[in-house]
Amino acid sequence: MHTVLIVDDSDINLTLIKALVLKLGNCNPVLFDHPLKAVEWCQTHIPDLVIVDYMMPDMDGLEFIRTFRALDGRAEIPVLMVTANDQKDVRYEALSGGANDFLNKPIDRVEFTARVRNMLDLRTGQKFLADRAQHLASLVAEQTQEICDREKELIFRISRAAEFRDPETGAHIQRMAHYSRLIARALGLDESTQKLILEAAPMHDVGKIAIPDYILLKPGRLTPEEFEIMKRHAQLGYDLLAGSHSEIMKAGAMIAQSHHEKFDGSGYPAGIQGEDIPLFGRIVAVADVFDALTSERPYKKAWSLEDARKFLEEGAGKHFDPRCVAALFEEWPEVLEIRQRFADQHDTMPVC
Amino acid sequence: MSVLFELDRKTILARLGGDEEILEIMIDAFLSDYENNCQQLLAAWSVRDAGLIAREAHTLKGLLATLSDESGAEQAYLLEQKARQGAIADQDAMVDALVQRVRTVAGVLSAR
Repeated sequence: MHTVLIVDDSDINLTLIKALVLKLGNCNPVLFDHPLKAVEWCQTHIPDLVIVDYMMPDMDGLEFIRTFRALDGRAEIPVLMVTANDQKDVRYEALSGGANDFLNKPIDRVEFTARVRNMLDLRTGQKFLADRAQHLASLVAEQTQEICDREKELIFRISRAAEFRDPETGAHIQRMAHYSRLIARALGLDESTQKLILEAAPMHDVGKIAIPDYILLKPGRLTPEEFEIMKRHAQLGYDLLAGSHSEIMKAGAMIAQSHHEKFDGSGYPAGIQGEDIPLFGRIVAVADVFDALTSERPYKKAWSLEDARKFLEEGAGKHFDPRCVAALFEEWPEVLEIRQRFADQHDTMPVC
Repeated sequence: MSVLFELDRKTILARLGGDEEILEIMIDAFLSDYENNCQQLLAAWSVRDAGLIAREAHTLKGLLATLSDESGAEQAYLLEQKARQGAIADQDAMVDALVQRVRTVAGVLSAR
């Protein structure tokens, strides 16, 4: 059903145009005998076609069209102006002011029907294109979301693949990722960066896939030679993830490579120190160690929160970036909430 | 000199695609509103407002043309042009004639 707005101060013209519009079928005429009232209606309604007289009190048809066109979302609505044939100057001004076509006075039904139908067809085409554009936009958004979800799931599963060969659990991935996000937030990083570290942190140990089982699963202390091989997981993780176009993969590569670096330069693989270590690496180092300490493993009991805090405090400036340690403590109530939410039995859900 | 008004149904119906129903609707609308239009023209004349006279004459021109009253529409057109030029002095006769014409048309339509 097309809404046709008719604005004319003459009742006979309103009545005539309304009757002709109704004869077209599938049209709902809305009549105004005063242009200012019509403008008011247009603030909250969008017609499919406007038929407006030229000469009216308070606001002529030209001014009405200009006012109408200035309203948000009304720039494309077809407008027909009713004028006499002898008003050429008015017609030119109306065209430059936004009228699409004219209706001659006195109104001729054949001409009226053809012009109004053309304008309504134009409007139908506009709506079709707008709906199609909206439909395509929502399809793109849906597909993009699906790709993002798939990427996140893939990352989680890659991370789990590494963890399966490790005494650590899926819940560890969840907790350390969320601790990392908490630290990022406390450091004042923006929302998208917080989200990025949340999604990328689970890949920190992905390089362990390439570490032999006899080392990875060894219950006792590693020999210096074995530890050297174990240390390679940081670079291996980087090599596995680097070169991707995905921001998450790029961040994951950086984290995998740098999360065992230490603030005083005594870490590995590069032995870099301070702020030469990427921020994501410094953040994940704190989150990973804190969760490892406070979790139970086959070869060790879980440390108390107090002891873990003490360990981090003592390591601040040596092993850890002091700002990252302070940031974790700043978010302590949420740290406790995350520990509870991702207790070791819940290890099957993706991070986000 | 204006000619007598006769309802030219054939011409009007040709413009309305032969639709008698619309013609009747149109005539009814004219009859219910013409006096109001006349009064508005007379009110504009009484204060000698040239812009307003032009607008009211323009409206009557449209109404009479819609009813295929070419002679009456011409009267309205002339008054409209005079008013646009600001030449409204001594136009009493033109105004009265136009009002009279509209009332005559209404009388013919009422008696159809």
